[in-house]
Amino acid sequence: MQKVVNISLNGIAYQLEEPGYNQLRAYLERAESRLKDNPDRTEVMNDLEQAIGEKCARSLSPHKTVVNEAEIAKIIEEMGPVESAEEKAAGAAPEGTAEPAQPYTGPQPRKRLFNIREGAMWAGVCNGIAAYINVDVTWVRIAFALITIFSWGGMILVYIALAFIVPTAETAEDRAAAFGMPFNTEELIGRAKKNFEKFGSDFRWRREWRRQQRQWHRQWTHMNEQMRNVTAQAMPHMSHTARAITGIFMPIAAIVGAVLFVAWVLALVSLIAQQTVFGWPLPHGMPLWVGILVLALLYFAISTPLKMIRHGGQQAAGYHPGWAALHGLMWLGFTVLFFWIAYTVFPGVHELVDQLMWAADLTVSNISETISVGSWY
Amino acid sequence: MNITEKLAPIRKGLLEFVILKIVAGDKVYVADMLKLLGPTEFATQEGTLYPLLSKLRREELVDYEWQESEAGPPRKYYKLTQKGRTQLSTLNDYWKDLNRTLAEFGN
Repeated sequence: MQKVVNISLNGIAYQLEEPGYNQLRAYLERAESRLKDNPDRTEVMNDLEQAIGEKCARSLSPHKTVVNEAEIAKIIEEMGPVESAEEKAAGAAPEGTAEPAQPYTGPQPRKRLFNIREGAMWAGVCNGIAAYINVDVTWVRIAFALITIFSWGGMILVYIALAFIVPTAETAEDRAAAFGMPFNTEELIGRAKKNFEKFGSDFRWRREWRRQQRQWHRQWTHMNEQMRNVTAQAMPHMSHTARAITGIFMPIAAIVGAVLFVAWVLALVSLIAQQTVFGWPLPHGMPLWVGILVLALLYFAISTPLKMIRHGGQQAAGYHPGWAALHGLMWLGFTVLFFWIAYTVFPGVHELVDQLMWAADLTVSNISETISVGSWY
Repeated sequence: MNITEKLAPIRKGLLEFVILKIVAGDKVYVADMLKLLGPTEFATQEGTLYPLLSKLRREELVDYEWQESEAGPPRKYYKLTQKGRTQLSTLNDYWKDLNRTLAEFGN
């Protein structure tokens, strides 16, 4: 018995055996990444889908409604690797380098970020990152643990997000790719959705999650109460002056916090995109992940005392949830403002953002295609 | 470098020329182009042909029109544009010149 996947190729539905579907998906993904600089990418992809669809139709009859794995393999072979025509022109130029003798066998092995379940502690996020950056998984776990402590647990959210967003290596091809280019944005949303549905359907998880939430909530209220008691005892009477000082201090804290945050995000992005922090390269021999870790630690080391001072100020002025909300709003406003200033004033930032926008645009077009084709999931 | 390696770039460079020649006749569907090319030295696959056609269309050398088909969605039938026709005749002349030059050099 074989599991069958329903797909639509350029508007026509086909049923494929699951291993065949995985092969076809990998083929189309490779094709799309090869065509990423082609202005007619969407159109060529539709053409390819239609050609594949016609080939599928040929292997179907009223008594055979499913395209099997071997047929898909044959169709992919017939289609041949997708080459961009632009490169072909370059190859034909007089100074063009010699073409490889063998028929081109697809793009170079792409390294991709996957969650790897084999030997994983939870979802295999650390395992996948370790394979991707080529270090022992222990180092990644230590890094995760350290950042979790410094970020007061915030990293756990990042872990959960990664567990949902990053695809899990399911086929042998996936696992090879996990060890062998950047994480492809396509399918990102579909994956996350699918994984989330799977997760949601498992009600034991949900029950466990609710129990955990209740516990966190209890701890949080308890901590807040204690804090309030302590400050109330320490400062039995708050004068208006203290409130005024807090009022003045708060925008300053929000500005400093926003500047720090913007600087940190830009530094991270430039480190990842260009391997330099505002033009300074990493010390020789330092791997990228150590650089990212150092940046993260630096940010938390600077921002944590600041946060404590702010909290102290708020407590002193008499705790009120409005303070936090007001600070949050101010922080958000300043963050947007500083991003905008950085974007308009520094050409380097401009470039970075354009790069990001391009990636985001690709993601959005992928999502809209996925929705309009309504096929892959 | 063996002989096949030396011939491959020549074929690759000529493929565009061959496509223009095929499209110069009647309107053609990609599957039929592939069938025509199959038994020749220029045997090609969809993976190469579609990106090449999209490039030629962007250069306004070819254009396509949609035609209904009994089996499945409408199909794109490619044809040569006026600009493509001019370029094809330039290429034809160039090819003749090349041949003459080669012949003049003798064996």
